Amino acid sequence: MDAILSAAWSGLVVGGLYATMAIGLTVIYGVSHVFNFAHGHVAVLGAYVAWLAITSVDVPLGVGIAVAVVVMAVFGWILHQVAIRSLLRRAEWAFATLLFTLGLAILMEWGMLEVFGPRVKSIPVFIEGEADLGPVTVSLNDVALVILAVVIIVALWTFLNRSSLGRAMRAVATSVSGARIVGIDIDRIYGATFALAFGVTAISGVLLGTKSFMTPHIGWEWMIKGFIIVTFGGLGNVPGAIVAALVLGLIETFVTLQLGTLWVWPAWLATFIIALWLRPQGILGGRTA
Amino acid sequence: MLAIRDVVGGYEDIQVLRGVSLDVRGGEIVGLLGPNGHGKSTLLKAIAGVHPATGGSIRFMDEEIIKAPPHRIVEAGIAYIPEERHLFSDMTVLENLQLGAYSRTARPEFRRNLELVFDVFPRLKERQRQVCMTMSGGESRMVAIARGLMSGARMLLIDEPSIGLAPSMKKAVYGAILRINQDAGITVLLVEQEIDYALRLTSRIYMMKRGAVQFERPSGEASVDELKEAYF
Repeated sequence: MDAILSAAWSGLVVGGLYATMAIGLTVIYGVSHVFNFAHGHVAVLGAYVAWLAITSVDVPLGVGIAVAVVVMAVFGWILHQVAIRSLLRRAEWAFATLLFTLGLAILMEWGMLEVFGPRVKSIPVFIEGEADLGPVTVSLNDVALVILAVVIIVALWTFLNRSSLGRAMRAVATSVSGARIVGIDIDRIYGATFALAFGVTAISGVLLGTKSFMTPHIGWEWMIKGFIIVTFGGLGNVPGAIVAALVLGLIETFVTLQLGTLWVWPAWLATFIIALWLRPQGILGGRTA
Repeated sequence: MLAIRDVVGGYEDIQVLRGVSLDVRGGEIVGLLGPNGHGKSTLLKAIAGVHPATGGSIRFMDEEIIKAPPHRIVEAGIAYIPEERHLFSDMTVLENLQLGAYSRTARPEFRRNLELVFDVFPRLKERQRQVCMTMSGGESRMVAIARGLMSGARMLLIDEPSIGLAPSMKKAVYGAILRINQDAGITVLLVEQEIDYALRLTSRIYMMKRGAVQFERPSGEASVDELKEAYF
């Protein structure tokens, strides 16, 4: 019983982290219909930027995260301005952006290997210690991670639903033609979406970095997990991605408990295939944002 | 208010607009008639900038707008209401109206424009929390016009507002357009298929054929028979 409870708790922690990681991917897809294959590497680079700030300038973790958010948001905005924007004007934009982001992922992976080296790095935890909650003992860092994940999700939801810019992003996701005729500058919204998504993804990279190790190559694993989560949740569907991340997080920890870590990937992929077979539109249907 | 001269444009290899020239004066409701596929909708899209013209001149309030992107044209004071509506269907009526007031110039006027919209379309006030995809065709058309008004436009370009609506709904939509023009002083350029409705609503009409204006008439002097003949 205790083992089940602690697996459920771990699943929640991991699922929350996956949710913050996958949200950026699904928001970019929902608004611009670009599937960013460099998404995992964006998270990793965000984590490396925070790591660099923490270890070289000796700033606290919170400041490291803020630096990573700003750097990655600017990176996302520039990436849209110099590359994605012109690719989206082509007739073959879907294929062009797919190849471009795939190439970008490889470039980022080997660029990070040059700059940061192949050795495994980790980010210090937010808070040391454990809390004894009767049947289960939880690490305080996990509690901090869950709180942060909830804060990020609520903040993003509020932004998308309550702010003028967020509403404009949803408008573009629903109807580009409608957005154009009400006077929304589509390019500006795409740029803002890349900046927002890259910033949120940078935070998720740092959070994942406190929980597990990181190398320049781990981006692929995060990208594939992100891909499975957002497809399972329905491409472009934010609530769907959150639910999918939690389900897959729980599956991951229960499979680890019962069968061992080797079975995590097969379980993810099996869930993915079954989900696509039963509900190809994603668990929460075809709605966007 | 709007001066269009020798506008040409089209799609890929097909030239649709072959030198259109027309004028709309402030406070008018002008009708654009003519058979399908002869450039009426394409002209509205060119004015709104959503499908830019390739040549000629479009001046609005003495400013050249032919090369301006759609969001600049909205800011200049023109709202385009397409036949396809392009509503944000998974959002509420109120959210659609808020998005209608997205442009820089419209935001400070939000309250006042919302009052005007609810005054003209009381039904939308009752249903402001309803999600648009659950609304009828006529109600959706009202949301589309209301969303255009929220931009604080001085001129509306309305493409076939009555198409596919039941007669009572048609009357409601036309009544609303008339009130928008008379009470709020907003100029209207209207594409309309139904000649008798068009003549009652407008002060002047242009007959468009093969991508150009064939003739212009004050609506009071145009006869339905003459117009019908022009369609063939």
